[in-house]
Amino acid sequence: MAAKRYTSMAYASADEMTFGVSKYPVKAGLDLEIGAGYTIPEINYAPRPEAGSSKEKLVKEYERITTDIMSRMVQVGFPAVILETEHVQQMSNNPSWGAEVAHAQKTIMEEFHDEYGIKCALRHTIGDIRENRDFLQLRGDKYSVFLEAFEECAKAGADLLSVESMGGKEVFDYAVLRNDIAGMLYAIGCLGSIDMELIWSDISAIAKKTGTVSAGDTDCAQANTAMFIGGGLLDKNLAHTLAILARAISAPRSLVAYESGAVGPGKDCGYENVVVKAITGMPMTQEGKTSTCAHSDVMGNLIMQCCDCWSNESVEYHGEFGGTTVQCWSESLAYDCALMNTALETKNEKILRDLLMLSDRYRDPQAYVLAYDNAYRVGQAIVKDGDNIYLRAKNAAVECCNIVEEGAAGKLELSRFEAKALADAKASLEALPDDMDKFMDDCLTKYKSEVKVFLPENYGF
Amino acid sequence: MLDFTEASLKKILTRYNVALEKAMTPEEAAEEIYPKDELIYPIAKAIFEGEEDDVIEGLQAAIDAGKDPIALIDDALMVGMGVVTRLYDEGIIFLPNVMMSADAMLEGIEFCKENSETAPVTKGTVVCHVAEGDVHDIGKNIVTALLRANGYNVVDLGRDVPVDEVLKAVAENNPIMVTGTALMTTTMYAFKEVNDKLLEKGYKIPFACGGGAVNQDFVSQFALGVYGEEAADAPKIADAIIAGTKDVATLRDKFHKH
Repeated sequence: MAAKRYTSMAYASADEMTFGVSKYPVKAGLDLEIGAGYTIPEINYAPRPEAGSSKEKLVKEYERITTDIMSRMVQVGFPAVILETEHVQQMSNNPSWGAEVAHAQKTIMEEFHDEYGIKCALRHTIGDIRENRDFLQLRGDKYSVFLEAFEECAKAGADLLSVESMGGKEVFDYAVLRNDIAGMLYAIGCLGSIDMELIWSDISAIAKKTGTVSAGDTDCAQANTAMFIGGGLLDKNLAHTLAILARAISAPRSLVAYESGAVGPGKDCGYENVVVKAITGMPMTQEGKTSTCAHSDVMGNLIMQCCDCWSNESVEYHGEFGGTTVQCWSESLAYDCALMNTALETKNEKILRDLLMLSDRYRDPQAYVLAYDNAYRVGQAIVKDGDNIYLRAKNAAVECCNIVEEGAAGKLELSRFEAKALADAKASLEALPDDMDKFMDDCLTKYKSEVKVFLPENYGF
Repeated sequence: MLDFTEASLKKILTRYNVALEKAMTPEEAAEEIYPKDELIYPIAKAIFEGEEDDVIEGLQAAIDAGKDPIALIDDALMVGMGVVTRLYDEGIIFLPNVMMSADAMLEGIEFCKENSETAPVTKGTVVCHVAEGDVHDIGKNIVTALLRANGYNVVDLGRDVPVDEVLKAVAENNPIMVTGTALMTTTMYAFKEVNDKLLEKGYKIPFACGGGAVNQDFVSQFALGVYGEEAADAPKIADAIIAGTKDVATLRDKFHKH
């Protein structure tokens, strides 16, 4: 299926967007409707290290995890929950393993649904296993195993299908460590988008065939890598102005899933999802302050502003004083959702949204650009040249620079390093051609010679 | 839309990076510590600036003036890289500057080797790998660049490396330590197998581990494990080893932060 490009915004203005409500709600799993006027906790977990040593151990581990979460939701009285199983590599490389885990989990969830009426759904996020030791092998032998993993899990009980795909990562990893904006644009905006169109057409076809939901991708492999390397205020590994540029460029890439048939909810670690929601109107999962078990970020409250599902990113399964980790974190997520849902029911959602947003708005350039009003502007820049994957990514980057510059002229403080990195990036962007073919040709020549592990055939070149 | 007054904002947020920023620019700070020798200065400056062509030009000029190519590795390239790593450690420059400088330095080393028949001497060899089952190698790539930038010979086994291959590389290269990185909890379990096989074969060398899901508690569970919270810890652990601290417990005392 050819991608249907977005050339206009789903929302007429940024102020129309809130948490818990999307233009196009999605029905999934056991009586769940996502983005239909209430937010839903989405708990994500990782098995203990030794659990991966056999299929039996792994299935048992996920059975424990699932039972723990469902029990805690019922014990504390929460009406809805989503479980996200991010595959460990053993499960995607052996699709029958992933399918057995999905079946075991869904069986337990059905029991809870039957007994208590709790609304719930199971997301399986397949690992992007399309690689060998030396190279990404995006279109090679592994592709059929990759798709088989989706289909088997969908047939066995997964309701929502997702992935964090890796297209472009080989060039991105090289570029981001060298302040190379053109390389980041090529990697995420062009190579990433090309790969997304291939896989999401196929994943969406599987979802249609199996009666499941094609739920979306994130640019975890690239934009989150930049955010993670960027770290906190005192870290010196990457200017946060570059991290937000990677994020802005990631939005048109993640958008391709929806252009190829996905309907959401977009995956938790896509901090770009607020831009994608503004363009598509599809529901989104987000993560922030309740994902500190997995990583730190500088927009823990703000990113909750327009979420439909609220996630903890991932937590290793083990014991805590308050129960197992999945019990503790799912309970925290659910209380966050109860607050948002109370705001919705009492018609105070815009006030809560703005409080969440404002508490982090000036914390960092990343937070500033992702504040819903500015994120909406990035979306507008993308749809302006929505048919051209290069230009729309470049537009997103240029608009991101403009927004940070405007912010820095007001209450957004930048360090000298951040300001210099932004100015250098802006100059690099201004030097780029408007012609996509020329940009692609120039980059192909440059990165083929500089990045040993870049194989153009992965992208059909 | 709600917004803050400046006064309210200050009660909510402190941008410590802005408040603590050093007075000097990176270029000014570097200028203060470059070597003064007129043949060495342009090489060190070109390393700092990450300008590969200028590094080669500077090396050629020094060789033409009678400097020994192999001696230039220590006397010019490593000195220039020393400026870079010092300013990175002091928080004055960012990692991408270090990576670009390391690229320039490695080209310079190749050039020196091509112009000499003598092999350069390194501080020691380190075997680096990403755990079996794991293909995320950006952390390992940073570790290898920083180790090389600090004068170590790196045997880079790449990603998704079988345990036996790590053992084979140790047997063949006599390293001062092994490093392992992993992103996932289930792949980092391979570290325990590397540790057990190293001990089984009688290699009691430190095994420095780090990466996404890896934590100090996990690494502390196996006898050779030393946890590195940041990639920049790797050359510091290596430096401590060649300075004589080979005992894992002492290394943990020094580098474990929690």
